[in-house]
Formats: sequence, C-alpha cells, structure tokens
Amino acid sequence: MSLLHWAVLAPFIMAVFVPVLRKKAALIHTGWFVLILPIVLFGTFLQYLPVTMNNNTVMQTAPWIPSLGIDFTVYMDGLSLLFALLITGIGALVVLYSIYYLSKTKESLHHFYVYLLMFMGAMLGVVLSDNVITLYMFWEFTSISSFLLIAYWYDRDRSRYGALKSMLVTVFGGLIMLGGFLVLSIMGNTFSIRELAARAPELNEHPLFLLAMILVLLGAFTKSAQFPFYIWLPDAMEAPTPVSAYLHSATMVKAGIYLVARFSPIFAFSGYWFWIVGAVGLFTMVWASFNAVKQTDLKSILAFSTVSQLGLIMSLLGIGAASLHFETLDDNIFTAAVIAAVFHLINHATFKGSLFMVVGIIDHETGTRDIRKLGGLMSFMPITFTLSVIGAFSMAGLPPFNGFLSKEMFFLSMVQLIELNLFNIETWAILFPVLAWVGSVFTFIYSMIIVFNVFTGKFQPEKIEKKPQEAPIGMLISPIVLASLVVVFGLFPNLLSYSLIQPAAAAIVPSIIPAGEQLDVHISFWHGITAELLMTIGVIAAGILLFKFMPKWGRVYDHFPGKVTLNQFYNSGLYAAERGSNAITNAYMTGFIRSYLVYIFTFFIAALGFTMWAKDAFRYDASAAAPIGLYEVCLIVVLLAATLTILMAKSRLTSIISLGAVGYTVSLFFVIFRAPDLALTQLVIETVSTALFLLCFYHLPKLSRHEEKRRFQAGNAIIAAGVGVIVTLLGISAHSSKFFPSINEYYVENTYEKAGGENMVNVILVDFRGFDTLFEISVLSVAALGIYGLIKLRLEKGGETNENE
Amino acid sequence: MINLPILPILLPLVAAVLLMFLSKSVKAQRIVSVIASAATVLAAAVVLLKVKADGIQTIDMGSWPAPFGITLVSDMLSILLVLTASIITLCVVLYSFGSIGSGREAFYYYPIVQFLLVGVNGSFTTGDIFNLFVFFEIMLMSSYVLIVIGGTKVQLRESIKYVLVNVISSAIFVIAVGFLYSVTGSLNMAHISTRISEISAEPIITVLAILFLIVFGLKGGIFPLYFWLPGSYAAPPAPILALFGALLTKVGVYAILRTYTLFFYHDQPFTHDILALLALLTMVAGSIGALAYKDVKQILIYNIIIAVGVLLFGIAVMTEESIAGTIFYLVHDMIIKAGLFLLGGIMIYITGTSDLNKMGGLIRQYPALGWTFLIASFALVGIPPLSGFTGKLLIVRAGFETGEYVGAIVVLLSSLAVLYSVVNLFMDVFWKKPEIPLPETKKQTASLFIPAAVLVILSVLYGVGTEVVYPYVMQAVDTLIHPEIYIDAVLKE
Repeated sequence: MSLLHWAVLAPFIMAVFVPVLRKKAALIHTGWFVLILPIVLFGTFLQYLPVTMNNNTVMQTAPWIPSLGIDFTVYMDGLSLLFALLITGIGALVVLYSIYYLSKTKESLHHFYVYLLMFMGAMLGVVLSDNVITLYMFWEFTSISSFLLIAYWYDRDRSRYGALKSMLVTVFGGLIMLGGFLVLSIMGNTFSIRELAARAPELNEHPLFLLAMILVLLGAFTKSAQFPFYIWLPDAMEAPTPVSAYLHSATMVKAGIYLVARFSPIFAFSGYWFWIVGAVGLFTMVWASFNAVKQTDLKSILAFSTVSQLGLIMSLLGIGAASLHFETLDDNIFTAAVIAAVFHLINHATFKGSLFMVVGIIDHETGTRDIRKLGGLMSFMPITFTLSVIGAFSMAGLPPFNGFLSKEMFFLSMVQLIELNLFNIETWAILFPVLAWVGSVFTFIYSMIIVFNVFTGKFQPEKIEKKPQEAPIGMLISPIVLASLVVVFGLFPNLLSYSLIQPAAAAIVPSIIPAGEQLDVHISFWHGITAELLMTIGVIAAGILLFKFMPKWGRVYDHFPGKVTLNQFYNSGLYAAERGSNAITNAYMTGFIRSYLVYIFTFFIAALGFTMWAKDAFRYDASAAAPIGLYEVCLIVVLLAATLTILMAKSRLTSIISLGAVGYTVSLFFVIFRAPDLALTQLVIETVSTALFLLCFYHLPKLSRHEEKRRFQAGNAIIAAGVGVIVTLLGISAHSSKFFPSINEYYVENTYEKAGGENMVNVILVDFRGFDTLFEISVLSVAALGIYGLIKLRLEKGGETNENE
Repeated sequence: MINLPILPILLPLVAAVLLMFLSKSVKAQRIVSVIASAATVLAAAVVLLKVKADGIQTIDMGSWPAPFGITLVSDMLSILLVLTASIITLCVVLYSFGSIGSGREAFYYYPIVQFLLVGVNGSFTTGDIFNLFVFFEIMLMSSYVLIVIGGTKVQLRESIKYVLVNVISSAIFVIAVGFLYSVTGSLNMAHISTRISEISAEPIITVLAILFLIVFGLKGGIFPLYFWLPGSYAAPPAPILALFGALLTKVGVYAILRTYTLFFYHDQPFTHDILALLALLTMVAGSIGALAYKDVKQILIYNIIIAVGVLLFGIAVMTEESIAGTIFYLVHDMIIKAGLFLLGGIMIYITGTSDLNKMGGLIRQYPALGWTFLIASFALVGIPPLSGFTGKLLIVRAGFETGEYVGAIVVLLSSLAVLYSVVNLFMDVFWKKPEIPLPETKKQTASLFIPAAVLVILSVLYGVGTEVVYPYVMQAVDTLIHPEIYIDAVLKE
C-alpha cells in the first residue's frame, strides 16, 4: 500500500468517522472537519505534477485477489492527475460551499458528508485504477453514492424517482461495461489497462474487438449522459445543489469522458471509434443545447447544458482518435482536438461549477429557481450577478474567458475535418462544423437566459418567497475562486499548457509521441481572421438575434409531442415492465396446482420425447424377457380396470376400494415373480392403509364435487397418456440397455457368508444399505411429528395471524 | 479411515432425536438446538480443513466396500456447502427464538429444523445415488412439516400444492434411479461415473441426463418447473422461508452440478445446450417475476429463481472458470438469501405486512436495518467487493470465452433486474413516507437483527476475502473438472 493507495482510501476511512464527529462536535458544522481532507489530498496530488509534466508515470500495486489477476493497482499519469486534481480541488470548494448551504441544525449532515466522501474516494479510485476490475468497482461506487446523494431528501417522491433513474441507467452502463472489460481481458489475457494498451495492435485484429468496444462505450455514454442515456441527469438535479455542482457537472459525469480518454490508446485505432464517439458526442451536444433553451428551471438549464458540454468534449475525443488511426497524417491537427478536449474539460469544470453555485445561491436567497418568477436581481445581488456573467459568458464562448479559447479550438477541429477527407467522409464532413455551430448558437442563447432573465428585467417580489439579498461571504468564496480561474485561464491559458494539458493529452494519444518529446501545446488568443473566429462571430450574431426574438420562435418547442420523448419512453418502459411482468406472471401463476402440473408434465413429455427422438434413443430388446402368461394378462386387466374405477368413482368408498384393488393386484404380481416376502409386505401395507383410509373418510363430510359428473378434459387426458407413454418407452429402453453386470451379484455371494443372513432382501435393508433404512425411519418419525403438529396446532384459531407473534 | 465426514449428518440427527424428548421445555430445546448447530458448524469446519489438507474423505458405511455398500464422500464442494448450510441453520435457529412463536416451538419446530439439516448435509455428502434420494426424502418431509406447522389457512392451502409437486418429483426420482441402475448396474456414483464413460456414446445416457435434470430442476426451481415455488415459499414465516430459500433449491442445484460433472458430461453439445437455454429462460422468468410484485416475500422469492438461472448457466458453460464461478456464487447465494429473508422477516415483523404499498419510512427508527439491507441488496446484485461479484465475474467471463455472448449478457442484465427489484423494495420500505405514520415506540428487533446481520457480514467478508477462499474453491473445481479424482478416492483403484 503506497501513498496513492491511501489517498484513494482516505475518504472512505474519513467517512467512517463523520457520524462520530457529527455527534461529538455537534456545535461545529461537520463540513469544517470534512473540508480538511480534500485540501490535504489536493496538496498531495500536486506533488505529482513534476512527475507527469515529463510524461513520466507512477505505478504501485497492492494485491487483492492475485489468483484472479485482480489487484488494487494505482497508476498516475497526466490524465489521472488532471482528474485527481479536479476531484479534490472542486471537492474542497464544494465542501466549503456546502457548509453555508446546508443548515447545521435542520439537515442530517452526517449522511450528506458520508455519501460525499464515499463519492470522492470512489471517483479517485476510478481515475487512479489501472486494473479494470477495481476500476469497475469504484465506478459502481460512484453510481451508488450518486444514488444516495440524489435521494438525500428521500421523502420527496421526485428525489427517489431521480435517484432510482440515475442508478438504473448508470448501473446498466456499468454492468455492460464490465462485460466489455471481461471481453477485453479474454482478448488480452490481462486486467491491466496499461498492458492492454501495450497489446493494442493485436487486440485490433481480434474478432471480439468491436464487441468489447461497444460494451465499454455503453458504459461511458451512460455515465457521461450521452444521447440517448442523458435522461437521468436532469432528474438528478433533485440532489442538493452542492451535489449537482460536484457530481453532476464537474466530476462524476466526466467519468465517461475519462473512460473514453483512458481507452483511446486501445480502441482509437478503429474507424468505428471515431464515428461512434464523434457522432454521438456531437449529436448530444446539439440536442441537449437545443433542449436547454426551453427549460424554465435554472438547474434544468444547467443540467442540459452539462449534457451538451459533455457531448462537445466527447466529440473532440472521437475526432482526436483519428490521429491514431492515420499515422501518416499531420498529427498536430488531430492532437489539437485532444488538447482542446482536455482544455475544455478543465474550463467546463470551472465555469459550470461556479454557475451551479450561483444557481444554488439564487435558490437559497429567493426560494425559487424558476426563471419565470425571477428577474431584476442585479441590484440585490451584485456579486452573484458578476459571477454569473463570468460563468455564462465563458460557457457561451465569449472572450476573454477560457471558454472562448476552447470553443475556438473546438471549431478549428471541426473545420479541419472537411479539409481532410477521412473515412470517406466527404459528404458527411460538412455536417460536423454545421452541427457544432448550431449547437454553439443554442449554447449562447441559454447562457444569456441564465444571466439576463434572472438578473435584468422586472423584479417580481410577489412571485418569490423571500426577500432577495446577497449571499453570505462564505457561500461566495467558492464560486469566486472558480470564476477567478475562468478569467485567469482565459487570459493566461499557457499556465496550463505544459503543466496539465500536455501530460493529459499525451496519455490519451501516447503512441504518436516520439520518445522523450512532448506534444506541442500552445494556446493563443489571436490567430488572425480564421474560420473559427468567423464562426464565433456568427454564433454571437445569431445568438443575440434569436435571444431577442425568443418569444417569436420559442413555440417550436410546443410542436414536439410530449409522448415521444425519451423520458416518456423510460417512464412508460418501466411502467410497462412492471405491469407487463405482473400480467405475465399472473397469467401463468394461476394458483391452481392443476395448472402447475400441466406445465410440469408438458415439459416432461416435450423434453424427454424430444431427446429420445433427437438421439434415437429407443431400444427394444426382448431377449432377456420372460414370456407373458395368462395370469399376467388377467392381472393387468384387473389393474387397469381398478385404476379407471378410481378416476370415475363418484364416492370415496368406491375409490378407496379400487385403490386397494390396485395394491392387491401389484402384490399378486410379486407372487408371480416369485418374491413372496415382498408380496407379503405389500399385502400388509395395502390392508392397513385401506382400513385407515376407510376409518378417516368415515368421519369426513360428503363432498358435493364428488357427486357431480366430471367433464372429460381432452388436454389433461393427452398429457396423462403422454407421461405414461414416455415413461414406458424409457423403461423399455433402459431395460433393453443393460450394459453391465449389476452389483447385486455381490449381495448374492456375501449375504450368507459375510452378513450372516439368509434373506437377501432383509440383509440389504438392514446391513448392506442399512444407512438408507435408518433415514427412512427418520422420515417416518418426521412425518409423525408433522401430523401431530398439524392436528394439534392451529395458530389462527386464537385470532393470532401474525406469524411473528 | 476416519469417520469425520459423517459428523455433520450425525450431530443434527442425534440432536433431533434428543429434542423430540424435550418438547415440554422450550428453553431446553433452544439450548440444545444452539449447541447442536454450533457443534455441526465446528465439525464441518474440521472436515473442511481435513479435506483441504488430505484431499477427499470417504467412509464406506458398514465397511461394505464401494461400490457395494453406501459410501459417504466429502470432497471440497460437499464440505463447503455443508459448512455453509450449517452456519445458515445456526443463524436461523438463533433468529427463531424471537420470531417463530411458542406454539411452533412446542410442536417440534426445532427437531424438524435439525432433521432438515440432516437431509441437506446428507444430500451434499452422500456418494450413492439412491442414498441421495433418501436424504432428499428426509429433507422434503421436514420441509412439508415446516411449511404446514402452525396450520394457518395460507399454509394449509399452499402446503398441499408443495407436497403434491414434491411427491411427484420424488416418484420421478425413483424412476430415474431405477433406469440408471438398469443401464449401469450400480448405485455408487463414482462407479456409475466410470461405467458411463465406457458407454458414453449410448443415447440412453443423454435421455437419462434430461430425466435427472427434470428431477433436480423441480427441486431447484428452474424454468419451467418452478411454478409451485413462489406460492409455497411465501406461506411459512420468515425463518422457515430463509431455510427453504437458502438451502432447498440449492440442494437441487448442487445435484445438477454433481451429476452433470460426474455422470453426464459426455454429450455436452446436447445436454449443456439445453441447460444453457433453460438457464436463460430461468433468469428471464425470475426477473419478470421480481418486477411483477409489490411484496417483500415475493420479490425476494423470485430473486431465488434468478440466482438459480445464473448458477445453471455457470454449469452449462462447463469450463474450469465457469465451474469456479458457480461454486463461488452458490455459497454466496446461500448466505445472502438467508440474510435477506431474515431481514425481510424483520421488516414484516415491524410493519405487520409484507405489502410494499402499506410500508414506508422505517429508516428513521431502524437505520441499521435499512443500511444492512441495502448492503445485502448490493451483494445480491454483485457489486464488488461484495460477495456476489466474484462468482458472476467468473461465470460471465467464461460465458464470453466460450462464445455464449447472449447468455453472458443476460447474466449481466439480470443483475439489473435484481437491482431494480431490491432497491425499489428498499426505497418503499425505508424511504417512502408511510401512509399511516409509524408508532413512536420502536419495536425491539435486536435478537432478530443480530443473526441476520451476522450473515450479511459473513457475505461481505466472503466477497472481500475472495483470495482466502480461492484455493478452497479451486480444489472443489479440480474434483469436478477431473472426475477421476473423485472416482479414485471412492473406489481406491
């Protein structure tokens, strides 16, 4: 266990102590204790910066299940470090923010911080694990802690709904992803990502390659809320706002991005990767930004905006993959896409994190997040307003904020796709920049909505619960820090270039970097009048126009029928699953033993009949059989007649007597087959049981059903006959397939000599197989106890129906 | 030769006989039950270590040499399951003190539980196919009594179905043993195995394989033979349900695992394909059932069926890896099902109902119960590092490796159905606002909660400590994959 292992485990350990702290130090907000941890971890991870800046890595292994190749291996490279810093950095800010957001007295803080710490540890585990199985484990932990956090106010129906939805979608993805990991492990014979990446060329040739890729991508797409799986994210907004800022914007939803980045060295050689990741990402970006505009809840806007931005990063990673696919190309162009992805990832964490906190403040201070109720808050909350301007303008891609730079790089990557005729892309290539542009226009619009609909316009005091005022300073610190980063990264992007971006990008596309060299990452504001700049100007122009005339065209949204949305699909799908399975189950679970026996015997006939037919298993060999004499024929006739009488009998008496007749006939068979002792036993049993039956039934009332004439049921008759036929055929075949001498020769030889008995059957019963007999006796005593209890004990009689008394 | 392997059968048998005479004193019954159960656990643990050190342990009963007498065989698989079953029984007995009620206690509840354990441990241990039938009988007879004891209306109604189905399945069992004896001329399982491998091409063997699958499938609750199960299992109270859910179906699965690795492994393209198909249908049918109900007992019962499907799929894939997964999963499922049913019993005890629509809000007063149940749920789903994971991992991986893609994916997706059903249950029972506010006074549940929690903790340890369990499981796998080890140990050739 190394320092990095402890860094991953520390939040879990801390989580154990949180309830104690909450109890022992109730006067101090628990958040203050928790805050220490992410700060310390952030500092710890910073120390790895010099290591990764030179494209070096650290790897340490602690064994867990070495027999199965499952170890807790931590692996630190540029990509992992970037995420680890985001997780702990944003984590610290969110904890600080939450101290002022969540009331010490009203909320059950210990739950909140336990879940939050569990999440932090899980997320660190995801980004630091080299072993896919431990990665999967932490992946599911993030889903679980997200579930718990969304359901934090668990007595609200919406919270539980959102929590379940997010868990179902993300765990579905996780399970499928596990399938992908297992396929990969079969292909590469290892669970280590690093070793898999080293074998990437041979994996590419493997027939299972595509299957593994699709399965892993499903995991990434569900987690990172890509189309069509994004539906869980808007509902996840039921969580407290600090959680939304942390999990559902800055970190957890980026786990999918991380996964795609991490597995790029393995999968990106494939053309499918480029298409799937690029196209899904881009479509998600446009779709979600389009949908964000129509939302009225500020958090919903941000949720859709997050989906859209994740799509943007995803599409960049897809395009960047082309640099691996075409080794002859000018690598710079495609590594530019990867660099843009990494850069935008950082930028998104900063501006979206601050925007979520701003929305939290608005919610906290006014009591609503509905933009139809809000307006004119600028004079009440000037600092919050400034923060929202910085965040939203950066999101819209306006200079001088960091969002402008990465948005420009995004456009550049899209435009370059046209210039390079890849994957026979000619006709489709133009779609990429067009969609990117359209998506950006909508992004611009909703960014403006966030700022102007809330802070300018008419103040509507009658619609909001509280009198708005500026938030306390503690709540403002975190968004101020993030907003400052937005500005700093915007003005001095090259602070990040070689410290964070280059190492992370290098980890995504390692194979194209010559040993000892680095990717060229230089980000600058001014490139001259280029296509991307023109696109940005176009976005601003079109965005302003559309924003101004929003009431005019906003009605287009009404034309989307509510019934065909994906949400509706999820809800009705789940409803149908419950209803449908209920209907199906009730249809066959009739509660009647008759139906169950019909199913069982039908299967019996079908399975055995089919096997006998398919295997041609019927054998008939009469050579060992004795001739059938007159006696046997007579007895069989009697047996059949007696059996039929039981079925037809109208009174109990007749059927009992017929039953006795069946038994006596069988005894007679024993007589003919020269087994007098068996015959005797059988006769005694038949006599006793018939007498007992008669005795019992004498006391029973007459059942009316027995008086009725029973209907003949053809189906039942066929099944009954079928079972008989199958057993008979099988019996004849088994009898005709005696391949070995029976072990009974041994008994014949040893009954007298070794066992000292004269009757072989008796000796078998009490000696050779006396063990059987012992337990058959036990069976009888159990039955006796049971009958005694059945007669004597009637729990319901005293009105006591509670099984637990 | 030592007589160790018989102890886990003999101890409960002696205890049962003793308990019959103590029916007047509930206190004495409780003490003897606990001591006997604990002693059985201990004995099983000793045998386990012995098997680990010295390999398969056998006893020829009455010193009649195999294959002529009855031979008990403790290989690693047997003794692992015996140990698990004994631990579960101990926990259930402890749980019963607080829940089963004085009426049942006075009417031979404890001796019957011991008899049930005799049947279960005997079924796992015996090396004789007819003796297996006998142990099935004692197990079934005990279960008939347990299902009916108390004589409530629902118990009487369901027990008649349960008894009828099982009597029929016993009849088929005898027929199957008879036919097998006719073909192979032996009852000793090792002996049968050698003889079958000499005539492996004979089609009658394949037919017998299917016949035995039906026999054991009826016990194990596989598709389409499980229909009797949900109704019957829901009738008795929680501790009995826990015993049934954890032990009875698993004995059926064990018997399939044993016969399909020892006898019927010669025509795998046919038999194991049918097995795989049935496994998938079982998982699907179980998932459908688990989603269909809003009832604590029903949801958990249908989860039994899903697990049986997973296990069956592991057997069907039939590689070293998948068999290892099956054994991992089998032990896990026994422990966690017992734990879940006991926890479910506590919820029913608190609320007085098993209808989810009428429950709610328990988390405030019973947080420990809630979180334990949630952890157990995640273990059931197979979230690492909890206990269900390793088994599922190996089964799914083996499935992919042998080209059973659909099956492997279905196993993964069945986990989703499990997750949905149990998390929904958790949210309804613990989080949802109850329709009728809960009474302010908390019910005393500690005596019920502790045995249940012990099982859940055990399951967690089993998952985290996979590495410790691994060599044991692999020893069990070795015997199953190489039947000659088993045969040599029994016939001592």
